[in-house]
Amino acid sequence: MELKITNLSKTYANGVQALKNVTLNIGSGMFGLLGPNGAGKSSLMRTIATLQEPDSGNITFDNLDVLTQKEEIRKILGYLPQEFGVYPKISAEVLLDHLAVLKGITKNKERKELVKALLHKTNLYDARKKNLGGYSGGMKQRFGIAQALLSNPKLIIVDEPTAGLDPAERNRFHNLLSELGENTVVILSTHIVDDVKELCTNMAIINKGEVLLEGNPLKAIDEIAGRVWRKTIEKTELESYRNQYTVITEKMIAGKPLIHVFSENQPDNSFQAVEADLEDVYFSYIFGKKAVQAA
Amino acid sequence: MWYEIFKFELQYRKNRPATYIYFIILFLLAFGAMSSDVVQIGGGSGLVKENAPVTIATMMVILSAVMMMITSAITGVAVLRDFEHKTESLMFTNPITKGDYLFGRFLGALLIALLIFTGVPLGFMLGEFMPWRDADKLLPFNFWNYLQPYFFFVIPNVFFTGAIFFAVGSLSRKTIVIYTQWVLLFVFYQVGLILTRDVENRDLAALFDPFAVRTIDITTQYWTVSEQNTQVVPLESIPLYNRLIWVTVGIVTLIITYFGFSFNVVRNTFFKKKAQEVKRTKSNADIPIPTTGIYLNLAANIKQLFTQIKFYFSSVLKDIPFLGIVFCGIAILCINSIYMGRVFGTNTFPTTYLILEQIQGFNLFFLIIIVFYSGELIWKERDVKMNLIFDAMPVPDFVNLVSKFFGLIFTYIVIIIVLIFTGIAIQTIKGYYHYELGLYLSRTFSSTFPFLILFTLLAFFVQVMVNQKFVGHAVMISFFIITAVLETAGIEHGLLQFGSGSLGTYSDMNGYGHFPIAFSWFNIYWLGFSILLFVIAVIFSVRGSEAIMKTRWKIGKLRLSKPLLTLGIFCFLTFGLSGCYIYYNTNVLNEYNNSEAIEKSQADYEKNLKKFEYLTQPKIVDVNLQIDLHPKTRDYVAEGYFLLANKSDQAISDIHLQLNVDKQFNMEYLAFETGSTITKSFEDYKYYIHQLSSPLQPDDTVKMTFKQSFTTKGFVESGSNTNVVFNGTFFNSNHFPSLGYNNGFELVDDNDRKDYDLPPKQRLAERDDERELVNGILGDDGDQINFEVLISTDTGQIALAPGYLQKDWVEDNRHFFHYKMDKPMFNFYSILSADYEVMRDTWKPEHDSLGGLVNLEIYYHKGHEFNLDRMMNAMKLSFDYFSKNFSPYQYNQMRILEFPRYATFAQSFANTVPFSEGIGFMLEIDDEDDVDVAFYVTAHELAHQWWAHQVMAANVQGSQVIIESLSQYSALMVMKQVYSEEKIQQFLKEELQRYLSGRSTETKREMPLATVENQQYIHYGKGAVNFYALQDYIGEDSINVALSRFIKDWNIFDGQPIKGRFPTTIDLLGYIRKVTPDSLQYVVTDLFEKIVLYENKIDKAEYVEITKDKYQVQMTVASKKLVADSLGIETSIALNDWIDIGIYGEGSMEKDTLLYLKKHFIDTETQTFTIEVSDIPKKVGIDPIHKLIDRNPKDNIKTVTAKADL
Repeated sequence: MELKITNLSKTYANGVQALKNVTLNIGSGMFGLLGPNGAGKSSLMRTIATLQEPDSGNITFDNLDVLTQKEEIRKILGYLPQEFGVYPKISAEVLLDHLAVLKGITKNKERKELVKALLHKTNLYDARKKNLGGYSGGMKQRFGIAQALLSNPKLIIVDEPTAGLDPAERNRFHNLLSELGENTVVILSTHIVDDVKELCTNMAIINKGEVLLEGNPLKAIDEIAGRVWRKTIEKTELESYRNQYTVITEKMIAGKPLIHVFSENQPDNSFQAVEADLEDVYFSYIFGKKAVQAA
Repeated sequence: MWYEIFKFELQYRKNRPATYIYFIILFLLAFGAMSSDVVQIGGGSGLVKENAPVTIATMMVILSAVMMMITSAITGVAVLRDFEHKTESLMFTNPITKGDYLFGRFLGALLIALLIFTGVPLGFMLGEFMPWRDADKLLPFNFWNYLQPYFFFVIPNVFFTGAIFFAVGSLSRKTIVIYTQWVLLFVFYQVGLILTRDVENRDLAALFDPFAVRTIDITTQYWTVSEQNTQVVPLESIPLYNRLIWVTVGIVTLIITYFGFSFNVVRNTFFKKKAQEVKRTKSNADIPIPTTGIYLNLAANIKQLFTQIKFYFSSVLKDIPFLGIVFCGIAILCINSIYMGRVFGTNTFPTTYLILEQIQGFNLFFLIIIVFYSGELIWKERDVKMNLIFDAMPVPDFVNLVSKFFGLIFTYIVIIIVLIFTGIAIQTIKGYYHYELGLYLSRTFSSTFPFLILFTLLAFFVQVMVNQKFVGHAVMISFFIITAVLETAGIEHGLLQFGSGSLGTYSDMNGYGHFPIAFSWFNIYWLGFSILLFVIAVIFSVRGSEAIMKTRWKIGKLRLSKPLLTLGIFCFLTFGLSGCYIYYNTNVLNEYNNSEAIEKSQADYEKNLKKFEYLTQPKIVDVNLQIDLHPKTRDYVAEGYFLLANKSDQAISDIHLQLNVDKQFNMEYLAFETGSTITKSFEDYKYYIHQLSSPLQPDDTVKMTFKQSFTTKGFVESGSNTNVVFNGTFFNSNHFPSLGYNNGFELVDDNDRKDYDLPPKQRLAERDDERELVNGILGDDGDQINFEVLISTDTGQIALAPGYLQKDWVEDNRHFFHYKMDKPMFNFYSILSADYEVMRDTWKPEHDSLGGLVNLEIYYHKGHEFNLDRMMNAMKLSFDYFSKNFSPYQYNQMRILEFPRYATFAQSFANTVPFSEGIGFMLEIDDEDDVDVAFYVTAHELAHQWWAHQVMAANVQGSQVIIESLSQYSALMVMKQVYSEEKIQQFLKEELQRYLSGRSTETKREMPLATVENQQYIHYGKGAVNFYALQDYIGEDSINVALSRFIKDWNIFDGQPIKGRFPTTIDLLGYIRKVTPDSLQYVVTDLFEKIVLYENKIDKAEYVEITKDKYQVQMTVASKKLVADSLGIETSIALNDWIDIGIYGEGSMEKDTLLYLKKHFIDTETQTFTIEVSDIPKKVGIDPIHKLIDRNPKDNIKTVTAKADL
């Protein structure tokens, strides 16, 4: 089971190039698509979800051509768009049931069971009779997840699924996703590094339409291990450090900037070694790609 | 600060393409209306120029009302946009005040809307300057004529609608409201228009019409042509108040918005919503997700389709605006049904076909629903941003649109069923229990339903292709307007007019008749076309996030599955082949000409043949025909002869024959007994010149034998003949050959004539034109013919013609009827055949000198018995009155023959009156409240046995006074015998209205009654009013003496020879003047020879009680007498008139009793009278019975106030 994306490019009518020659091979399991807002994640995901046309390139899923065999892909697809609304005057149970029919689950009994199970899974069972118009952002998001899981999809695309969820809900969601069988390709886009760290066996970092890194998160961390250093500095010093070093993250800790820099060797004694994590990988690619490559 | 916000709004709109699209739409509509000949929207008529100020103003307000969705789209979103884009928090946290924010936005949006609406005057102005415009139809350009209505009507309209839309959008903070509010306002407006349609509410309607459409209409309703051409609608009295009211409404709305608008992101609602507490039960997260089967086969697709249909169906059905529209529609249906089928203020029985015609009035609401909900459904998912979820579902592409389509179709079915139930309820409430459920279902589902399907498919196509909801709405509305414009521009063939099939008129007598065949073919044709559009829509419909046409086509190609392609090809073939078949029927088997082609051939006819107009021709003296009718195939064959006599004093060698030009007629042979050769033929007009072998000598006769067949082949594009039908055939002598040039074929409209370089048409010759004085108004072919006809028809039908039945027999399954007239009659006869019931009676004159026994017969359709007794009674009373006062009746039989309601008139032939199903038979006459129209029409038609069939008028100006006005008078006098004065007043009020509104739409020039040129509003409307006044002034008996002398001298059918000419109004007025005293000669002059209008009014009225039975009334009356010229320019003339002064007291039953009525001499503009009466006076009036023509009759009567002392 493999999703193959080859040389995918897309330029919008307003001139923005959303995808530049994207090539990815995604096997079963969780695949994280990490990138800042506007990186082209949603464009890529919509294209995989049969909802958008690339200018060039191919996508295949096993033997199916995603771009032309849309109907076949949709049968095995679970898709949660980044931003979506719901019919305000319909209850979750009714709408989910309705969507299940559209998914092709036409046997009433099976569908009932499934809807019930998914409502339980997404912790919406108690609110199932409530009109969706009265749902909070988190509840709505969970409803979106429930509908994406209808019909045991083989290809799940979830675009920023954890946005707007509180930590408990996020955990629950992570559990849900990780439960999905191994025979499934799950693509998760996010700008939250932890999501990928916790869930994904493979990942890609994407920015400005380009794939900057593709691989296993742990391996990616390994690659920069021992080359990330940290130091707490004064605000006034920030500018000079930026010029002097490859600063990959800046955080405020107790009112003072804590910077991570990328360097083959310890820049000086005031810098301490950091056990690199995925976030460092991410930011080093986003902000310091050149430096990393140069190294 | 507000200025910054104002500027921001302008900037925002400046960059929106929609702003320009709206402007262009308005501009093009206005330009199209003015630059083409088809000023359709408001319409100038006749002499009123197409850029007359009133026409411009009317067109402007109509466009501003119809296109108010543009205002909604601009002002409605001005604030809402911030909520929509979730920028409200940003805006509200800025240091701006609520007032700055709201009014900055509003003023910005309003200015943009006003600029967009300048497209209307600009379009008109440019249209006016197009080089192809005919200068004769236009006034010189006058900028003020555009500026004035834009300022006084368009700006207030846009302001007040803009304020309302802005308020609703801002306060509701819901996008859906923007889409719905204009629809609702439009619906309410329509309802209002219909509710205030009645004459009684006219002033109210003018005052409160928010768009001032009715205001302009009513203010200018009695304006004459010259006023309409020169004056702008003045901003005074009612128009001014109207504008003030609606501007005030706009301002109040803005104030309410200001106070109602919460400058917080979260609003406090008036109704605290109960926090929906959700009971927390332990939700089981560990439950395994069951594996389900996915069954995506055809059965599943069908199930998906039905689930979606159900979903869309119920979503529309539950929508509040939808319910609102349906509710309004039903309310209108109920209200309209109150005045359904009214003839002269009398109701018609609520037959199912009439209810169905009312239901057809719901089509406007159906169109609103189609335009609006096709947009709503196409955008259903996208509006709530759920589209990506739905689009990724494994549902075949067609399911989306098809389910939306059927969802809407099912709502139509629900509406139709509701309408049918409403109709049945109306019938029940009115006490009519003859429900024809089959008729209800067949009509709605065969006529209304295809119409809905076609337009829904079209609307879906437009919405999908345009892919912008509002623009889609605008495109649809423009489509309706453009279709209408194209029709008037000559593109009128049903193959080119979308959804053109028409099921025609339903008649009890003839059912649907022959209409369904053509109707079905046109529907098949347009259905093929519409489904093809729908297939294209499926291909191009947006699924996913791609909206660019190129990409949609790229995706669309993938959707071209075999079934879809097959369907597309099938529809294309259906469209093409049915189109060919229709073309074969309409243009090959039959002849099709658009109006322009018809006009051209009329013009050519006149140019080529007018020279023959006064050529001496023989007269027909005998008509002897055998006519075999075949109602089932709508054919007949007529064979027989005309005997032609030379009544001139010179030999005639050339006989000019005009045959019927319609392709359905075929002259199989035509021969003169003495032999003839055709020396010239004008094949295009079927006009042939036969040269007789030996010239016809004076007083000699020649027999012309012929055989003519009439065949119905296939079907025609429109205007199929309704004369020869399955049941209820009725045609007259104009089917047969006639002699010489027929000026009835000439173009009538002077504008059209100008296009073909023809001089303006003289409607009738002057009263001293010797060439026309010898012709009667029914043509010059024969004045005294002997008539004999043998008609055969299907068994089961009775065939009828003038004359007496000699014999009837059945032979070879055909029923033969032999009719023969015993004395000469005019060359004017009719042939009828239908399945009739017969009611018989006799009338016996009071004494023998008035003639013999007359057999009275009414041939009617079974079930139409309601008013037979009234007709019978009217016949008897008419014969009583006419034979006593005018002259004896010339025949010994009178027959009324019902014919289908394809036409609604009654017409008098010798001893025969064909009478439409639609005007007398089905009336529900309430003797309390209604004028007995069945009685009136019968009396009027019977009067024609005298006024036409005893005295024929010369074919010159004023002829219709002798024919129609005298029949109006005669019928009124018979009615006076049995009906109360109030009933007569009620009748005359309608006639006065007919005259007053008729003269404001006069296309040439208004004539005085005595020289009327076939102007119905004059010879019927003014004729009835003035003759009634005349008999009031000089006495009924005196007039009858004059009329009986007139008949005695001019009757041509009582054996007297023709005097060498026919009488004119000069002759008639001579008899009348002879019985008029000198003091009242002026009345005859005013009533007949001038156009006189009065402005009578009671200024003041008071009374004092002198004793218990003596009251003194003092009143001041104002009078003005005006004389109008032919264009309506009025000049005041001196008063020297006798006018009624009346005083009314309290009577029983809420009716006033007349205490005093007497003519007083009035010779100053204001005059005071003191009159004593014997009871408490209630009202006083000058000309209270409205005998004189007065445009404002209401102020003729005033309530008297009591006063202690005078």
